[in-house]
Amino acid sequence: MRLIISPQGKEMRVKKISADAKTKNRLQNIGITEGCNITLLQSNFGDVIVRVRDCRIAMNKDAASNIEVEEI
Amino acid sequence: MSKRKSATKNIKIALVGNPNCGKTTLFNALTGATAHVGNWTGVTVEKLEGTYRDKKSDIKMDIVDLPGIYSLSPYSPEEIISRDYIISGDADIILNVVDATNIERNLYLTSQLLEIGAPVVVALNMADCLKANGESVDIKALSDGLGVPVVSISALKQNGLKELMRTVNDMQGKTRQAVSLISDGVLKDSIEKVSALLSDSDARLFESIKLVEGDKLLSQKYVSLEKEIEEIRKSNIKAIEEYNGDFESCVADCRYKAIGEKFGSVIIRGKEKTGLSKSDKADRVLTHKIWGIPIFLCIMLAIFHITFSSNFLYLSAVIPDGAFADADPITALFVDSEYELDEDGKISGANSIKSPGVFLQGLVEALGDLVNGERVEDEVVDEFGNASVEVTEEGGWIRRLLADAPDWAQGVVCDGILAGVFGVLSFVPQIMTLFLFLTILEDTGYMARIAFIMDRWFRRIGLSGKSFMPLLMCFGCAVPGIMATRTIENDRERRSTILLAPFFSCGAKSPIWYAFAAALASTIGWNEEITVFAVYLTGIATAMVAALILKKLSGKKGATPFIMELPAYHTPQLKSVSVHIWQKLKHFVFRAGTVIAASTVIIWYLLNFNFAFRMVDESQSILATVGGWFEWLFKPLGFGNWKFIVASVTGLVAKEEVVSSIEVLSGSVEEFISESGITTAGIFAFMAFNLLTVPCMAAVGAAVGELGSTKRALLAILFWVLTSYIVAMTIYLIGTYWWTTFIFAAAIAGIIIASHFIYLKKDKAIRRKVC
Repeated sequence: MRLIISPQGKEMRVKKISADAKTKNRLQNIGITEGCNITLLQSNFGDVIVRVRDCRIAMNKDAASNIEVEEI
Repeated sequence: MSKRKSATKNIKIALVGNPNCGKTTLFNALTGATAHVGNWTGVTVEKLEGTYRDKKSDIKMDIVDLPGIYSLSPYSPEEIISRDYIISGDADIILNVVDATNIERNLYLTSQLLEIGAPVVVALNMADCLKANGESVDIKALSDGLGVPVVSISALKQNGLKELMRTVNDMQGKTRQAVSLISDGVLKDSIEKVSALLSDSDARLFESIKLVEGDKLLSQKYVSLEKEIEEIRKSNIKAIEEYNGDFESCVADCRYKAIGEKFGSVIIRGKEKTGLSKSDKADRVLTHKIWGIPIFLCIMLAIFHITFSSNFLYLSAVIPDGAFADADPITALFVDSEYELDEDGKISGANSIKSPGVFLQGLVEALGDLVNGERVEDEVVDEFGNASVEVTEEGGWIRRLLADAPDWAQGVVCDGILAGVFGVLSFVPQIMTLFLFLTILEDTGYMARIAFIMDRWFRRIGLSGKSFMPLLMCFGCAVPGIMATRTIENDRERRSTILLAPFFSCGAKSPIWYAFAAALASTIGWNEEITVFAVYLTGIATAMVAALILKKLSGKKGATPFIMELPAYHTPQLKSVSVHIWQKLKHFVFRAGTVIAASTVIIWYLLNFNFAFRMVDESQSILATVGGWFEWLFKPLGFGNWKFIVASVTGLVAKEEVVSSIEVLSGSVEEFISESGITTAGIFAFMAFNLLTVPCMAAVGAAVGELGSTKRALLAILFWVLTSYIVAMTIYLIGTYWWTTFIFAAAIAGIIIASHFIYLKKDKAIRRKVC
């Protein structure tokens, strides 16, 4: 399931990040890696706010649509 | 490389940590007033340095605050600066600030610091915040696991700082073996093999891990080893199949895994967290997909009101007209004492209170008058018909001091230097008030949310959400707006934002619009607010078209996805806000005293002397003569008259100068219009030209500083001149010959199509490179 359509407020697991190297690196540095837990807090037309490793991260649709999640 | 220093020199500490981990708070707490800002060579990333002193234990250290980073990867200038600096060995000890409330992500950076062999001390910040949730950190386990000292502090409450600095001091002269947390067999094998190749490296472990990751910067450093490294990577590529052969993700994942395994139990969890935190609840409202923007606009309106309104809280609605008509000079600083009398002798006005920004501006102006006020003389005719001169205003003390000096000396000092410098200084209160609010918004964490909600709209014209705030500030003043572009990490977006800054009509330009709108209202019967509104709209429309063209011209490479941490909301801190404002103020006042003073003297000279170096009337001055030569150039814009040109040039000092020089040259704006025979289309073209052209010297100075190179600054000036010329010409020609609309429409379409083709071509070239 793509992150942007995952249920709000429910903890999911990142299955796959299919972005270019630079974006992937930025996502990893800020704490979003494959296999980590992620909670969608809010979605504004595809731009999202998520909770990962105890911090809130905002992403636009370009970045968020690269992230695939699955149920735990 | 100079690793050790002589005994007389202070030891040097580098502060390293994630953004929002409390690093800057700690820096301010440790260094106090000794802090000073510089730039890292070659980039516009701020470099903060200061000194820590503890008299009791005789400790004195220099502290460098490195930019807030998440990693030591080679993608952003901040990361490159930090890692180069740490590896250079200039700092004796690395002080790593770790935010206890999200320790996992913070330790990701720590794990990379440990791979460099420099002594590290970890300052565990905000551990007290965990206690509120019944959680705590096992500091001994953390320290043992990392192999470096860990000290729990609160940068905010200034707890534990002495102990921290004592621990840092004890590390002096000690060495530390570089270690890596990565325990994965395959990676370890690759790392060891690469490490064997780098026998003379100063940061062997760090560099070999980065080379395994495929770090581009380091690969350039070790071009001769490229083949061997690639072979090692290839031989192990099968083992990391689950990462699609992406070593970088594999390393990142191994780091996080190791941190999770090793330090998962370091935080002793209390009761399970339930529901949303306060910040989450605030975000529900403040970043709401529909209400987010209206709420923000209300906040901005309030800020502009406090900074620029001369009718604070619209109190004139309840205060009777003329209430402050007899205000003494001191009271008049706080209230508006100007009023008008109509035919029946009824007073209107003089019933509003000034907002804090306007009050402060008045204060600086009063100070200016005190020093450099004009001497006013009135001719009085007594009852016998004898005329005599009576001095109604004594003038400022500098003028009195120079009363016997020659005219040119008085002119240079009073009308040249002092008038220019005070003219610029009179903006300082409002610029600083605006900046104060901006800093507060930044400090509370709200600014990150604004960037987020505006991003989707700005992306369409090739900017990011982070460009929004700086551009909005430009409606107040372009100087803080341009300075605020520092938060935009993408270079292309930052430069585009700076280029667009002057198109947003600033407060100092508004006198031009008001003066001409009033004149137009009396000559052609246009409503004043419609004229002013049209000017603002022209600016915004030009900015949008220019942003689109700039986006197309630069190709696709500029687009970086928006990824940003939203820090928890917290109350702003007086200390960090005041340090920030003070530094900006220092910077600005310094420039007012140097660049701006020099340029005002030059313009004053050109406006008061002729080519024979004689002081003459302004209409015979160098500027008037040279302006005359260029009249033909402005004919297509409808204002080919030297007075218009001179007025525009004086606008470079400060935009209000445009109106004041018109008044000097012609008496009043109405007279100016009628004697020059300018058409209505010409007036609009003149306004558009002044709106869009090179901004005042203060803004140009800020732009030069932020653009970072003379070449780019010259290109920026060329861009402004061209844009203003083209737009003004378009307005004049369409206004005069309506049928030219079609020609211009075709030309604009042509430019957009052409730039789209350039964009496609560049895009293709980039794709080819990637493949």
